[in-house]
Amino acid sequence: MVFSSLIFLFAYLPAVLLIYFIVPRKGKNLALFLVSLFFYAWGEPIYVLLMLVSTTLAYLFGLLIGTYREEKPRRAKIFTALSVCVSLSFLLFFKYYNFFAQNLSRLPTINLPTIAGLALPIGISFYTFQIISYTVDVYRGDCAAQRNYINFGAYVTLFPQLIAGPIVRYTEIDEQLTSRRENVDDFAAGILRFVVGLAKKVLIGDALAAGFVYFQDSGAVQPTVVGAWLTVILYSLHLYYDFSGYSDMAIGLGRMFGFHFPENFNYPYISKSITEFWRRWHISLSSWFREYVYIPLGGNRVGTFKRYRNLAVVWLLTGFWHGADWNFVLWGVYFAVILILERAFLLKFLENSPRVIGHLYSLFLIGVGFLIFSHSDLGAALATFLALFGVGIDSFATSVALYTLIRMVPLILVSSIGATPIPKRIWERIQIRHPRLQSATVILCLALFAVCVAYLVDSTFSPFEYTQF
Amino acid sequence: MKHRHSIAIVVSFVLLLGFTAIAFWIIPDNDFSARENRALQTLPRFDKDKLFSGELSSAYNDYFADQFVARDVLVTLKGTLELLSGKGENNGILLGDRGQLAKRLFATARIGKDAAEDSDIIDSEHLKNAADGINRASENVDVPFVVFLTGRTADVASSAFLYPNHASDAMLETLRQNVAEDVNYLDLVPTYRERYESGEYVYYRTDHHWTTLGAYYAYCDILKAFGMENDIIPTEKFQKEIVSTNFYGTFAAASGFHFVPPDSVELWLFGNEEEFLVTADGHTLDGGFYNRRHLSGNDKYSVFLDGTHDVVTVTKKDGQDRPTLAIFKDSFANSVAPFLAQHFDLVLYNLSSPRTDYTDVTTWSRACRADAALVLYTLGNVIETDKMNRLR
Repeated sequence: MVFSSLIFLFAYLPAVLLIYFIVPRKGKNLALFLVSLFFYAWGEPIYVLLMLVSTTLAYLFGLLIGTYREEKPRRAKIFTALSVCVSLSFLLFFKYYNFFAQNLSRLPTINLPTIAGLALPIGISFYTFQIISYTVDVYRGDCAAQRNYINFGAYVTLFPQLIAGPIVRYTEIDEQLTSRRENVDDFAAGILRFVVGLAKKVLIGDALAAGFVYFQDSGAVQPTVVGAWLTVILYSLHLYYDFSGYSDMAIGLGRMFGFHFPENFNYPYISKSITEFWRRWHISLSSWFREYVYIPLGGNRVGTFKRYRNLAVVWLLTGFWHGADWNFVLWGVYFAVILILERAFLLKFLENSPRVIGHLYSLFLIGVGFLIFSHSDLGAALATFLALFGVGIDSFATSVALYTLIRMVPLILVSSIGATPIPKRIWERIQIRHPRLQSATVILCLALFAVCVAYLVDSTFSPFEYTQF
Repeated sequence: MKHRHSIAIVVSFVLLLGFTAIAFWIIPDNDFSARENRALQTLPRFDKDKLFSGELSSAYNDYFADQFVARDVLVTLKGTLELLSGKGENNGILLGDRGQLAKRLFATARIGKDAAEDSDIIDSEHLKNAADGINRASENVDVPFVVFLTGRTADVASSAFLYPNHASDAMLETLRQNVAEDVNYLDLVPTYRERYESGEYVYYRTDHHWTTLGAYYAYCDILKAFGMENDIIPTEKFQKEIVSTNFYGTFAAASGFHFVPPDSVELWLFGNEEEFLVTADGHTLDGGFYNRRHLSGNDKYSVFLDGTHDVVTVTKKDGQDRPTLAIFKDSFANSVAPFLAQHFDLVLYNLSSPRTDYTDVTTWSRACRADAALVLYTLGNVIETDKMNRLR
C-alpha cells in the first residue's frame, strides 16, 4: 500500500489510528506490529513471511549476541557475523540473484539459470539495513538486546518507514519503542508534515514525472537539446519531490504515533559540492553506510590510498544498493570518482570560487548522475547526455517541446523554489509578524489535503475506451 | 504552533478522515458513471488467486477511486486547478477558443516495440508502414477503392489552439508522399481545417467525432471520389432535426472541463428512413439508422447506427437491387452511413474490433460481394494502432 492512495488515507489510516489509540499502552506496539504486517501483506502477500523469518532470526541472534557479549566476545562476534550474513543473503538472493546469474552466465563454463518468478520483495533493502544496524549496535554495546519480540517486530516492520525509509537505526529509536508518549502537539505536527509530504508527491512530484516521461519519450524519437535538458531537470526535481515527499509522510506518520524519526533530506539542491549533496540527500542511507561500512573500514583515519579505497567501496555499494543493474553500479562509480576528486583537490577549489560555480557544478553533476540512475539502458542515457550538448540531435527544439516547456514554467519555478529553504523561511517570518495568521495553518492544511485527494481521485480516471472504435 | 491550533488540526483532520471513511461505506455504490460513460469498479470479491497475484489490491484501489465520495466534484476541482496552473490542458485534453476541446496526447511512436504512452510525437516510420498497407490493399482489391483518413480534432480545429500543428502537417505530408499516386486517396484535412476556420460547425467541441455537417461533407467527397458527383443530394433536401442541445462527449469527460458550452446533435432526415433495413451483428436495429435511446445517456454520438458493432449492414426493405459498398471503418463512418445508404447497400466492418480482424479488405470485400470498397478511418487510429499497416 502506498501512502498516496485513497485506500490508505480513507480506510487503512483511520482504522489504524482508531485501533492504536483505543488499545491500552501495553498493547500499542503489538497493534503497530500487526497493522504493519497487514500493510506489508497488502502488497506482498507472500513475502510478508520472508520478512517475518528475517525479523525472527535477527531477534534470536540479537538475544544470543547480548548474552555472550560480555563473557564470550568471540562467540558474540560469530553470532553477529552469522546474523549479518543471513540478512544479507536474503537481500542478495531476492534482489541480486538474477542479475548475477545473467551476467556470470556470459562467462564460459558458468551456466546459472535465472529464476523467472523472482520478484524483488518491497522494502527488503530498507528493513535488511535496519536489522543489520540492530545486530551491530547490540554487538558494539550501543544498546541492549531487545528481549521483547513484539517491540523488535514493531521496530523492523513499522509501516511508516518500512517501504522506503528513512532507515531508522536501532539506537535512535530504542527508547521510543518502550517509553514514547503520544500527544496532541506531536500529532498535529505529524499531520502537517504528512500533508506537506503528500502534496510534494501528488501535486508536484507526479506532475514533474509526467513532464519528464513526456520529454524522455519524445527525445527517444526526436532528440533535441531543449528536450534533453528538460529530461534531466524534470527528473532531478521529480526524484527529490517524490522521495523527500515520501520521507515527509513517513516522518509525519511516525510523529502521529509519538515517534521521532531522523530527517532524510535537507535541501540537497542548494549544495555547493557533491560531498555536501550527499550530506543532504537520503541522509539516513549515507549515515548508515558511514556508520557500518566506511568507519569499520578505517574511515578517514587511514592513509590516503586506503581512504580513497574506502570511499570507492562505500560508493560502489551505495550504487548497487539502489538496484541490481549495471547503471546503478556505474552510478556508484560515478560518485566515487567525483567524491575522491573532491577530497583530493576539488573541494578546496570550490570553496575558493564564487558560490554560483559550486551550485552550477553540483546541479549539473547531480543531474547527470540521475540520468544514469534513471536509465537501465545505458545507450539511451548516453544519447540523452550527448543531446544536452547538441550531439546527435534532430533539432535544437521542436515547436511542441517549446509549447510544453512554456506551459511547464510555473511548475518548474514553483518546484525549484520549493527545493530551497526560502518558502519555509518566508512562512516562519509571516507567522512571527502576524501571529493571528497561525489559525490559517489549520485551514491551509485541510485545503491542501482536499486538493491532494482531488488529484488522487482523478489519477485513476480513465474516460471512455471507445475512442478506438 | 499554539496548543489550541494543534487541537484544531487534530480534530478537523480526524473528523475529515473518519467522516469520509464512513460516508464511503454508507453511500451506495454506482456501477456506472453517466458522466464518464464507463462501468465503475464495484466492491471486488475476495479470491485467493487474485489476492496472491496482487490483482485484488489493485482492484480495491480502483474501487476506492471510482466510488469515492463527491467524485465528480473532485474531478472538476482537479481539472480547474490544472487550468489555473497555466497548463491549458488536463489529462491530455487541450482547452481552446470558444470552448473547443481536443486530445493532445496519445500513445504512439513505437520506440523499439513499445508504444510510448502519453506522447505527441508522430513516428514517420510507422506512417510509412501505414502508407504501404494502403498501397498494398489498393493494388489487391478488385473493385473501385477509396481511402479516406479523417482528421483528429487537433488536426482540423488547430486554429482554436496555441498548440503547434507542425506535427500534424508533417504527418499529412508523410502520408501524401508515401501513398502511391494511383491510390484513390482523400487528403481532406486541409479542407476541413478551412471549413472549421470559416466558422462551420464540422467537428464537435466536446467530443472527438465530426458533426453531421462534417459527415455530410465526407459523403459528398466520397461520392465524388467514386465518380458519382451528379448523384449528390444537396443539403436543402434534408430536414434537419436537432435531437440534443446538451451533448458533452469524450473530451469533456476526460478533461473534467464541464464549464464549456455543450454540443448539439443533428439528424439529417431525407424522409425515406423507414425504407431501410439496418442490422448489427445479425440483429435488426429497430430504430434503423438512429437509436434515439442513446440521446438520454451521455454517449450521444451512439445515436448513429447504435454505436459500436463489428458488422453493420444496410439494405432496402423492398429488396431493391443496388450496388454494395463495403466500408472498413471506425465510429466516424457511423454518421456518414445514412447518407451513403441513399446510393448503396452497405456492409460496415469495424476495423477496430477487438474480436475479428478485418484488415484483409480484399477478402472481406469479396465475401460481401462488394461493388466498391471504402476505408474510412481516423488519423488518430492510424497513429495509435497498426490496422493500416496490416491492410491487404
